[in-house]
Amino acid sequence: MAEKVAVDPQAFKKAVDDRTNARLKMWLEICAHCGLCADTCHFYLSNDRDPKLIPAIKGKKVLEAFKKKDKIDEAFLEELYWTVYGDCTMCRRCTMFCPFGIDIATITSTGRGLCVSQGKVPENLVKTIESYYEYGNQMEVSEEDWIDTLQWMEEELQEELPGATIPIDKKGANLLYTVNAREPKFYPMDISQAAMVFYLAGEDWTMSSKGWDDTNLAMFAGDLKAAGYVSQLVRDAAEELEVKRVAITE
Amino acid sequence: MNLVTLYELLRGPLLWLAFGVFFGGMVLRVILFYRLSKRKDGVIYRFFSWKWLWLSIFRWIVPLNETAKKNPIVTLVGFVFHICLIATPIFLLAHGVLWYESWEISWWSLSEQVADYMTLIVIGCGLFFAIRRMVLPHVRIVTTAADYLLLAVTLTPFVTGYLAYHQYFDYNTVLILHMFFGELMLVVIPFTKLSHFLMFFFSRAITGMEFGRRSAPSW
Repeated sequence: MAEKVAVDPQAFKKAVDDRTNARLKMWLEICAHCGLCADTCHFYLSNDRDPKLIPAIKGKKVLEAFKKKDKIDEAFLEELYWTVYGDCTMCRRCTMFCPFGIDIATITSTGRGLCVSQGKVPENLVKTIESYYEYGNQMEVSEEDWIDTLQWMEEELQEELPGATIPIDKKGANLLYTVNAREPKFYPMDISQAAMVFYLAGEDWTMSSKGWDDTNLAMFAGDLKAAGYVSQLVRDAAEELEVKRVAITE
Repeated sequence: MNLVTLYELLRGPLLWLAFGVFFGGMVLRVILFYRLSKRKDGVIYRFFSWKWLWLSIFRWIVPLNETAKKNPIVTLVGFVFHICLIATPIFLLAHGVLWYESWEISWWSLSEQVADYMTLIVIGCGLFFAIRRMVLPHVRIVTTAADYLLLAVTLTPFVTGYLAYHQYFDYNTVLILHMFFGELMLVVIPFTKLSHFLMFFFSRAITGMEFGRRSAPSW
């Protein structure tokens, strides 16, 4: 459920202006309305071929938003919100099959970005984004808990493979290994198993005390500012540790 | 104003105007696209790749893609339509004569019989698209009045051209209508979705590169 927020037309107009780019303008103009995107959409196919769910319709809804600018009202915002969150997962299948290569996924993402300007973001996603800002990861894992988890996993690992370690903040390592924050939170064994592989492969690797969550759920909200912040955390960690590469978890 | 002055107007200044709006409009569109993209579409230039640009365009300019395979009829009609639409006016003998009269330039032309068939093919394919729009629910729902109007704008030069060649109805009137509709089509192209004749290449290239930078083909 979305939080109930009144419409802020000026903020919406600013978001539209900020997000207007050459690709989007071109795509919204040249769509020939051929309907060839229909069969590529799992929403359309799994809802008895409901024509209201074909990708081009979703693009049209975002186009409407771009035309309305500060003339939006609550009813329209609600429609836009349910289109970009309820009818599209941004899987890009239609992009791949569109003869013009019109990127409906990017258009949907832009629509979500417009909703951000109105604070219209699914509640759980809001919490997740707050967690990134506060803890640097999506699961509210504190640095202390994170280090504790890694040390605990190292102990478990050493019971099976004496000598194997989980290096933390090792400067100049070849590889920085990053994980999904769900791993320390719910499946810590995944980390020791990855460590096992690295140890047996003789890899020069490390984990970081900061910027270790490689997920970026802010991206799903089309919240470019937050998404940029989250990516930057990992980049900063990689630069500080002077690693050659960043590996992300499976 | 009699038919002769109208003819001369359409053959002279209005034709210049139509070509001017068409070429000028398209050049302007490309310039505006380039300028805005330099400012707001960094991703195009950061991941620019000639390889994926050409591959993406090639795979769709000839039907070598999944969509073509899955929609053989639309693909066939679409390709035949576009080929005849572009080739017929350029290689029509009667048009060639006009170019020769004005500029003393000439090039290869189609036989009149073939051009006649190609004109009918354009009209037939156009009707196919119109019917497809009305019949298929998922096409009907995205269709706007502009889609029918633009289809009509595209077909009228061919319908009137066909009538003029066979001298059905009053030849002079039909000829004038033919010139008018032809010029109308040129004028609306830069401002409508018909601009896809050029923007297609930009869009295809960009999506080709976007998928390509992840080593994924977009066809």
